[in-house]
Amino acid sequence: MKFGNLLIAGITTGSIYAMFAVCVSVWYRVSNILNLAVGDFAMVGALGVDNLYRVKGLPLPVAIITTLVVVAVFAYLYDQVVLRIAQDGRRPIEGIVITFFFTFALSFFIDGVAKVLFGTDVHAAPTLWGGPALTLGSLNFERAGLLVLACAVIIGGAFWLYIRFTLGGKALEASGENSLGARIVGIDTRQYRRLIFIGTAVIAALFGIVESPITGFTYLSGATISLTGFLAAAYGGFRKPGRALVAGLFIGVLEAMLGGYVSAEYGDTVLYAILAAAILAWPRALGFESAVSG
Amino acid sequence: MNQFLTASARALAWSSAVASSRAARQVPRGGVPSVIVLVAGAIIVLNYGLLYTGSVFVLSACYAIVTAGMAVQIGFSQQIAFSQSVFFGVGAYGVAILNSHLHMSVLLSGVVMVVAAGLIALLLGSVVTRASGLALAVATLMLPLIAVGYVSGTDFLGGPVGSPLNGTLWPGGGSTTLVALGGGLIVVVLLAAVVFIASRILSSDIGLELFVLGVDERTAAALGVRTPRRKLELFVLGCVCAALGGVVYAGTQQFVPETVIDPTTELALLIMLFIGGRRSPIGAVIGALVIQYLQGASNWVSVNILIVEGVLLTVVLLVDPEGLSGIVQTGIAWLRGKSEPASAPADLAAAELAGAELAGAELAGAELAGAELAGAELAGADPPAAAVAPAASAGRESPDEIAGPDARDATLLEVRGVFKEYGGLSVLHDVTLALPGRGLFGLCGPNGAGKSTLLNVIGGSVAPSSGEVIFAGTDITRRPPHERFYQGISRTFQAVHLIKGRTVLDNVAVACLASHTASIVTRIGRSRLDAARAKATRTLADLGMAHLADREVSSLTLETQRMVELARALASSPRLLLLDEPASGLSEEQRQRLATLLVTLADRTCVLLVEHDLALVAQVSERIFVLSGGHLVFDGGPADFRSSPVVNSLLVGS
Amino acid sequence: MSATSGNHSGNPSESGVALAVTGLSVAYGNVVAVHDATFAVAEGDACAITGPNGNGKSSILMGVTGMVRRRGEVAIFGTPARNGDVKWAARHGLTLVPERRQLYPELSTADNIILGCYTWTRSIGKARRSDAYGRAVDLFPELKPHLKQLAGTLSGGQQQMVAIARGLAANPKILAVDEPCLGLAEAVAKRVYDVLAQIHAAGTTLIIVEEAPRRALTLCNRRVEVRNGMAGAA
Repeated sequence: MKFGNLLIAGITTGSIYAMFAVCVSVWYRVSNILNLAVGDFAMVGALGVDNLYRVKGLPLPVAIITTLVVVAVFAYLYDQVVLRIAQDGRRPIEGIVITFFFTFALSFFIDGVAKVLFGTDVHAAPTLWGGPALTLGSLNFERAGLLVLACAVIIGGAFWLYIRFTLGGKALEASGENSLGARIVGIDTRQYRRLIFIGTAVIAALFGIVESPITGFTYLSGATISLTGFLAAAYGGFRKPGRALVAGLFIGVLEAMLGGYVSAEYGDTVLYAILAAAILAWPRALGFESAVSG
Repeated sequence: MNQFLTASARALAWSSAVASSRAARQVPRGGVPSVIVLVAGAIIVLNYGLLYTGSVFVLSACYAIVTAGMAVQIGFSQQIAFSQSVFFGVGAYGVAILNSHLHMSVLLSGVVMVVAAGLIALLLGSVVTRASGLALAVATLMLPLIAVGYVSGTDFLGGPVGSPLNGTLWPGGGSTTLVALGGGLIVVVLLAAVVFIASRILSSDIGLELFVLGVDERTAAALGVRTPRRKLELFVLGCVCAALGGVVYAGTQQFVPETVIDPTTELALLIMLFIGGRRSPIGAVIGALVIQYLQGASNWVSVNILIVEGVLLTVVLLVDPEGLSGIVQTGIAWLRGKSEPASAPADLAAAELAGAELAGAELAGAELAGAELAGAELAGADPPAAAVAPAASAGRESPDEIAGPDARDATLLEVRGVFKEYGGLSVLHDVTLALPGRGLFGLCGPNGAGKSTLLNVIGGSVAPSSGEVIFAGTDITRRPPHERFYQGISRTFQAVHLIKGRTVLDNVAVACLASHTASIVTRIGRSRLDAARAKATRTLADLGMAHLADREVSSLTLETQRMVELARALASSPRLLLLDEPASGLSEEQRQRLATLLVTLADRTCVLLVEHDLALVAQVSERIFVLSGGHLVFDGGPADFRSSPVVNSLLVGS
Repeated sequence: MSATSGNHSGNPSESGVALAVTGLSVAYGNVVAVHDATFAVAEGDACAITGPNGNGKSSILMGVTGMVRRRGEVAIFGTPARNGDVKWAARHGLTLVPERRQLYPELSTADNIILGCYTWTRSIGKARRSDAYGRAVDLFPELKPHLKQLAGTLSGGQQQMVAIARGLAANPKILAVDEPCLGLAEAVAKRVYDVLAQIHAAGTTLIIVEEAPRRALTLCNRRVEVRNGMAGAA
């Protein structure tokens, strides 16, 4: 059944977009920075594991853990060096536009390093759950896709539980909403910011590892993923991870449907046209400020 | 390579010397940067035009034409749109097609394409610029993506291989030398022209409009800036510059690869802009030069260009968010030994709030939006006693002086049956009131009663769900804020909405601009900024604040900043003045001064005052309105106000 | 080290020095907000810090609680405070209710209050069951129907209550309140002061920054006047 399979494929890619969108959204809430480098961390995860496992011959679990640790360390260093100066220094750099460009630059940097380390070919991390697609009636479930969904649900669910039901989670939200108010109750906002940055980097890398067998990555793939993550987060209004999640899923499904029913070649083009039209027609409904009304 | 470096260094040094002879951070009125570009560019083309470095220079100049336009649109006016690479492609591809398939000369096809691009931009822009801020950015982000999808699919544009040209930018034939140098010179001349135009616009009175627009669209609209029109003009300007860049690119490179429409081109352009200096046209040129030079600098660099660009952008932004041109300007100012005036005795209300900022606070409940808005910030004090002197009456000869002696009786403002709902929440419920042409009126109510919403409905930034607003007999319910400004409605905001980084004079001058109806293009000619500043000076003098004209707004006390806001609201000689909690944060002494000032204002115009300080309101108002839960629960004089049981239970508490 | 100054009002139940401030200086860049302030607050006191706006009152509190960097000595119940450590004061019994409330607008009222417990625990269970939290909620019956509501949608007066409740949930020995009645109607301000009086009566030391001393002085037995960044006990 074509519709069903398209829907499944759409939800799979959608959940990838959704996870990246959530990373962007949560990070923005806590730090007021739009992280455009999430996709690049994903790419590093995928290509790193591929490199360590396939080229260097390390066992798979070791490859995965090493890659994630390296990503975490790098994120930590970036926070210590760049973010600290930009945000905690004497003259904090303000303005969403400027901070946007910091992660932009970061994205370029990571891509450049990836090019040096991994070359320019298409690679992917090995499939973690091998085997043919599972079928249910006439619906096909690719195993890799199921794995992605499972990761999304687990990580997303865990994060949601953390935010909702623990004091630490509420503290995290508080530090994003009112930095002074958070510090009054002893919340170390800098530490949370650092934590979230490293967290989103590692989660993105993990998703890259899980997702890459489906699509394959080059050192430039990060940009497209960051873009879709950014888009989905934008439609969620940036500060609401829940809406970002839904937006990501929706975009994924819409993309699949357009690709399947309208045109394989121009499906994406139509998708973007629809997204643009939606923003222009209903900015407020989608969470954007409309132009000054009169 | 060394010769190139020496030539560039000399050009830079010379231009720094010239630039430093003007006020450090002001944009010179067009002439200096464009002359530098013209002369330095011509020298480089003529000396190195046939060498590799010369061709890199010409290529950068093509991109610089684009980025100079982006400096006006994105950097200065903060209208973030990702449309430049698409129009660059339109220009480049258009010329390639017209030239190779229709055998039109490159020059002619260039002209055709620029005009065509302008028309397309006009059409596209009128749809796209209805959005603002983030919505605008995301909507235009789709453009390069859509374009790429389309272009790769068609063979007409050469598909992934690209599109070659037969002709060259330099018309007529001639030796390869002539063609190369001639083409290069044409590009330099065009670049100088674009820089000239951009600088003239930015330093004119419309430049001030654009700056305010970039900082806060709402404030700009409330001050009379025709925001929809300016946004469209900026969009077209950016796209036309992009198309022009594409045209000369095609003409000099003779080949249009598919990558020009790639989103990476858009990214590259943005990087050039931000590294060079987002707000300045010459910064944009510097940025383009730096990036193009880097790409050819050495083998290692060009292979690892991504790493280099990433690190460079990060470092430059950390040092100065205004990019390389910001660093250069700071260097020039430092070399000249010009330093900020020594800090006077501390102003603490300001410093305390600033301290909270430094400590990473976000002031909840205040409307602080964006970095540019001067809430109270650091340093400097000013003698409070001198700052606020009750205005001497008259002395204003503005033609829009308000009505004569009958004004008191005629109804100026009528609010009829206004309702406002947000979601299911009713914020205003059947509010009806009327105000005459002169007098002081108070609007009170507990928090959340709808006072600010009512003010927004009268001012025009919020449309009521139903009901009417009638001003001087005309129904203005659906009129945008800038039109209401012309009608004579002026307002202040709860949080101070002054423009940081500009002087008091400029902040007040924003309300005195006569440029609102003019097109942006006219400012390539004469600027009327001086006239606006003169009017602003008179307004400040009336209020006894002339000595503050050159102070930067963030160095003032909160009370003084509120006075500047008030001066700005008065500068347009409004018939109706809406004041949103002007006494908030002021001490008892300061409130009394404000009260005296308000009473004198009431002689000339109608003032509606939203305030929490009931004593102040009862002291100065001749009639008071009380809102509660969106309903108007009291409308009467101060005596009744003090004794009304409704009012007492609601606000005072017996 | 922990010198005290000024005259004690002779409150017979005072047993020790709750807060001793010596030579406190707070500067923002080149601007000196507080210059060499020295005063002390005895345990069980209610101390009003008064003076015109913009003269350093809030900066004193910000410096004392560690929200901004300071010079000078601050001692809470005899223990000298660590400079620049935001958590130190909160962990040692001094909690600040800041100017303009500084709540978390998109968290519920209950969440805002319970975050006060963050100063002494990380366990949400312990926080909910604690006496401090219970007392904080009980002190404001008018907030009970709004506990699940987002804090940003409350009125100014309600927000002030939440801010004080949050401060109480931290179980402080000293509660410092900065301009509690900013922007509030008269009736609401009265209620706020009633609550503060209750808190004081229960044994908490109070420090209240107020521009208009009239209300504060009905409650407070000590006063520190701040002018031009200099503090003098009155």
